[in-house]
Amino acid sequence: MAMMVQVQDLAKEFRTFRRREGVWGAFQNLFVREYQTVKAVDGISFDIAPGEMVGYIGPNGAGKSTTVKMLTGILVPTRGVVYANGFVPYRDRLRYTKTIGVVFGQRTQLWWDIAVIESLKLLRKIYDVSWRDFQERLEHFDQLLRLKDYLNTPVRKLSLGERMRCDLVAALLHRPKLLFLDEPTIGLDIVAKKNIREFLKEINRRDQTTVLLTTHDLSDIEELCQRIMVIDHGRLLYDGRLQAFKEQLGRWKQVKFFLKDRGDFAELESLFAGDTLQCERLDDLTARILFLRDQVSSAEVIKKVLSRLEVRDIAIEEESIEEIVKNIYQKRNPKL
Amino acid sequence: MFRVSEVLTYLEFARVGFVNILAYRLRYYTGVLTYSINVAVYYFIWKAIYAHSSEIEGFDLSDMITYVAMGWVVRSFYFNNIDHDLAVQVMEGKIAMDLIKPVNAQLMYVSEAMGESCFRLFMLSLPTLVVLSLVFPLKGPADWRLLPAFFASVVLAFFLVALVNFLVGTCAIRLKSVLGLLRAKHFLIEILSGLLIPISFFPGWAQRLMDFLPFQFIAYGPLLIYLGKRDAAGVARTLALQLLWVGILFLLGHLWWRSSIRKLAVHGG
Repeated sequence: MAMMVQVQDLAKEFRTFRRREGVWGAFQNLFVREYQTVKAVDGISFDIAPGEMVGYIGPNGAGKSTTVKMLTGILVPTRGVVYANGFVPYRDRLRYTKTIGVVFGQRTQLWWDIAVIESLKLLRKIYDVSWRDFQERLEHFDQLLRLKDYLNTPVRKLSLGERMRCDLVAALLHRPKLLFLDEPTIGLDIVAKKNIREFLKEINRRDQTTVLLTTHDLSDIEELCQRIMVIDHGRLLYDGRLQAFKEQLGRWKQVKFFLKDRGDFAELESLFAGDTLQCERLDDLTARILFLRDQVSSAEVIKKVLSRLEVRDIAIEEESIEEIVKNIYQKRNPKL
Repeated sequence: MFRVSEVLTYLEFARVGFVNILAYRLRYYTGVLTYSINVAVYYFIWKAIYAHSSEIEGFDLSDMITYVAMGWVVRSFYFNNIDHDLAVQVMEGKIAMDLIKPVNAQLMYVSEAMGESCFRLFMLSLPTLVVLSLVFPLKGPADWRLLPAFFASVVLAFFLVALVNFLVGTCAIRLKSVLGLLRAKHFLIEILSGLLIPISFFPGWAQRLMDFLPFQFIAYGPLLIYLGKRDAAGVARTLALQLLWVGILFLLGHLWWRSSIRKLAVHGG
């Protein structure tokens, strides 16, 4: 099967002007400029198959947005190969952008001072959508996102959540095969986030739209993506199944015990004395046991406790993706 | 070269430009006043100058007053902010939103500006014309049969300004801070277009230099047609040169934009 996106050894370097400090420095800046090269993306490779939803994560300045900008034809790569939906984005930009949808959560592609519906009508012309398709899709989007209430409002008067919904509709009006979302849920409340996630799932299911999504909110990823890519300092640290990511890289597991009696904690602690696992008291009646998953299994821990104590309840938790990602970043940058 | 649907798309941009500016229509009530005051200032300056001579370079006082007044009326139509808009788009990183649209940016900016200019024609140019003709002794067109040629010339003047502004605005992609450049361009165009002083008042060497530049066709060219200071051949020549410059500036803008966006650097986000 032909890949929807193919990226090989893709890199983008920016040359930035280094400012000297002070009055003398400012004077020097007028005549001699010092430049430094920043490697925003430093040789990454990946493929995305049609219909996939891929989460692309990394800390601020890791190179996520720069990658998306190269994939959408905005930036020209310094080196490397990029094909998307059969095009070289920066070279065939006009033909290519007609086949994709893009949402930058921090910006809007709609016209600021005119009613949303006017912008959508203009986009209909730009993307050659027939009037019937336009009406039908708008109706469908309205069912999922409830747009009708603010279609006649100028964009500058919309709330962030409303604007984001409109931007999604604008990006999907021509039913693109490939959708790029850069921080689509940034700054939204829980209800709006949920609404937008449901919408994206539905679009992906119905039209087999391929989605690449960057986000800071890892619950977006957990809800939407089976595959994640982690980038830091311009390099890919991980690319694979979300489940495998958790299993491979989640080192810790924890079991919480809800005790019957305050005195039980001492007993519990003595059980594991000398072991590598940690026993912590969260409050009077709750204890937590943390352990490395490749050394002990949760079954063993529970069996050992239950053989000596009666407890009210047990909860098993895995390390969250947030923590795993944090660990990866820290391993690379011990100073963090 | 273009398909019908594409032309319709850019007409739609013009419509959006028109609707967009509706949001700021209040601005135009004061616009009529500012333009009239500008004309009044030049009226008194020229009156003082003409106190000592009845004719300068073929212009008598009533020619001169009509020249200045019609100049500002015409300017209210051809004026646009493409350069400034583009610079802001680049500085705020919004230029990315222009690049994700499958449209020719040059045509998009010029079309939107055209819509705005059509709006200003009704909200600014015509009201200003009415006010000015009530206050100052303006001459009607020298030859009514040349009026269509005058209108065509003004429309071409719009395209000249829009295309020059697009070229200058595009410099923001490489230079980042261009506000100084934009100011310089603003004053240069006010002078070299002949809006403030007719080109024939300039020293001979300057006139010869300006023959190699497009700017005199922005105001001086159309205004001489209005005043009847061009014979039929002269009118045809003005329109032909305007068209030629529109073509040249369009091509230059196209190439400059294409090479500039390859140098684009949008950081962060």
